[in-house]
Amino acid sequence: MDLIERYIYAIGKHLPSNKKADIQSELRSILSDNVETRFGANPSEEQVVTLLKEFGAPESVAASYWPEGQYLIGPRLYPLFRFSAGVALTVFAIVQLVLLGVAVMFNQEALPGIDFIGNLFSSLMVAFGIIVLVFAVLQHFDVRPSLDEKEWNPRDLTAVEPSTEIKRGEIIAGLVFELIFTAILIALPSQLNAVLYPGSEGFVLNPPLQAYIPWIIISLLLGIGLDVILLWRGRWETGTRFAKIAVDVIGLGLLILMITSHTQWLADHGVNDFLSAFSGLEAGAPSPETVQILVVNGFRIGLIVAAIVTIIELGKQVFDLVRQVWQPVSIKISK
Amino acid sequence: MMIDKEQLTNLEKLSQELRRGILVLAALSQLKESRYGYALIELLSQQGLDIDQGTLYPLLRRLEEQGLLESEWKLEEARPRRYYQLSENGRKLLRELTQEWQKISDVMDQILKG
Repeated sequence: MDLIERYIYAIGKHLPSNKKADIQSELRSILSDNVETRFGANPSEEQVVTLLKEFGAPESVAASYWPEGQYLIGPRLYPLFRFSAGVALTVFAIVQLVLLGVAVMFNQEALPGIDFIGNLFSSLMVAFGIIVLVFAVLQHFDVRPSLDEKEWNPRDLTAVEPSTEIKRGEIIAGLVFELIFTAILIALPSQLNAVLYPGSEGFVLNPPLQAYIPWIIISLLLGIGLDVILLWRGRWETGTRFAKIAVDVIGLGLLILMITSHTQWLADHGVNDFLSAFSGLEAGAPSPETVQILVVNGFRIGLIVAAIVTIIELGKQVFDLVRQVWQPVSIKISK
Repeated sequence: MMIDKEQLTNLEKLSQELRRGILVLAALSQLKESRYGYALIELLSQQGLDIDQGTLYPLLRRLEEQGLLESEWKLEEARPRRYYQLSENGRKLLRELTQEWQKISDVMDQILKG
């Protein structure tokens, strides 16, 4: 009978705690009935082993008392978990990036190094862990969010949108541009200026841009990675939309930083409005400094246009994402 | 006729599914009187329906949670035993489910003959 007690004890380890003692008592009674009916009052160990094997491994017997299975986050909670984690992590990442932008722009802090990305990643992981923990607790107490099926109406289903298909040509063109631009930035960061303005060794055509080249490369690589994934998947999905928003937010932050530093540089060189950049062009061949001012000003205009385009694109992505993710969620919590 | 191993497993799986479908009805039908788990298994087995014990006992608890069965521990016998019996709701459901089963059974007979 010791075997039976050990068996019941082993099952008990995997039972829901509020029913454990009762289920164990019932199993003890059932197993004793089985033994007595089949093998009499004094069963051999061999006979008990046979019976227990028929009953099944303790884990699977215990599992049958969990009608919905055992989960850290079960199928009922998972859609809500995925939704919450997606929203929370995106908001968290955006807030972190905005705070970084504010710190750099207003407090004149240096642009952080690659360790910022590492820190951002680990704080995202901590946030994710906390969300998992919260849902594991909800799961443990069997909290059940239920989609409101009564109000579900097939007529309310959104139209199938061709726009979730990616535009392959557009993405490939963007990818080619990003690759060429990245290659130039990686291969020629220092020589670029001399190549564009020959005959002046060590002359820097656009000084405020220099510090940002590694960051531009990182931002481009993120965009390239995302484009490759999009080409592979063939359509926009929630994950890629979130990724696109993240890439756009990073790009926008970088653009704003660069616009600020270009403006600062121009102010330091006496250019406070758009037209005064052209004042050096009035007489004869332009001096290198005039060219520099024109280039920096030109870059600033380009960066402002790029920032506006990015903001529009970001708005569109957020709108599409809201339509895709937010809409089907109508959740009630019930116990 | 040779039945290969894969087919045999399929057969086992599908018959198990079939039996799982009728298990609730079979169990409810035998619990007009109060019985304990092992006695119920034996009763069904004597009538030709062999049910895996590991499936039946958790099912009885679920039916009780759904309010179809009532249970109580009886201590006066050789060992404490948990007895199950139909509740009022359970009786009502058994009547309806029996009619439903008759319909399904008739329809299936027709379909299989056809």
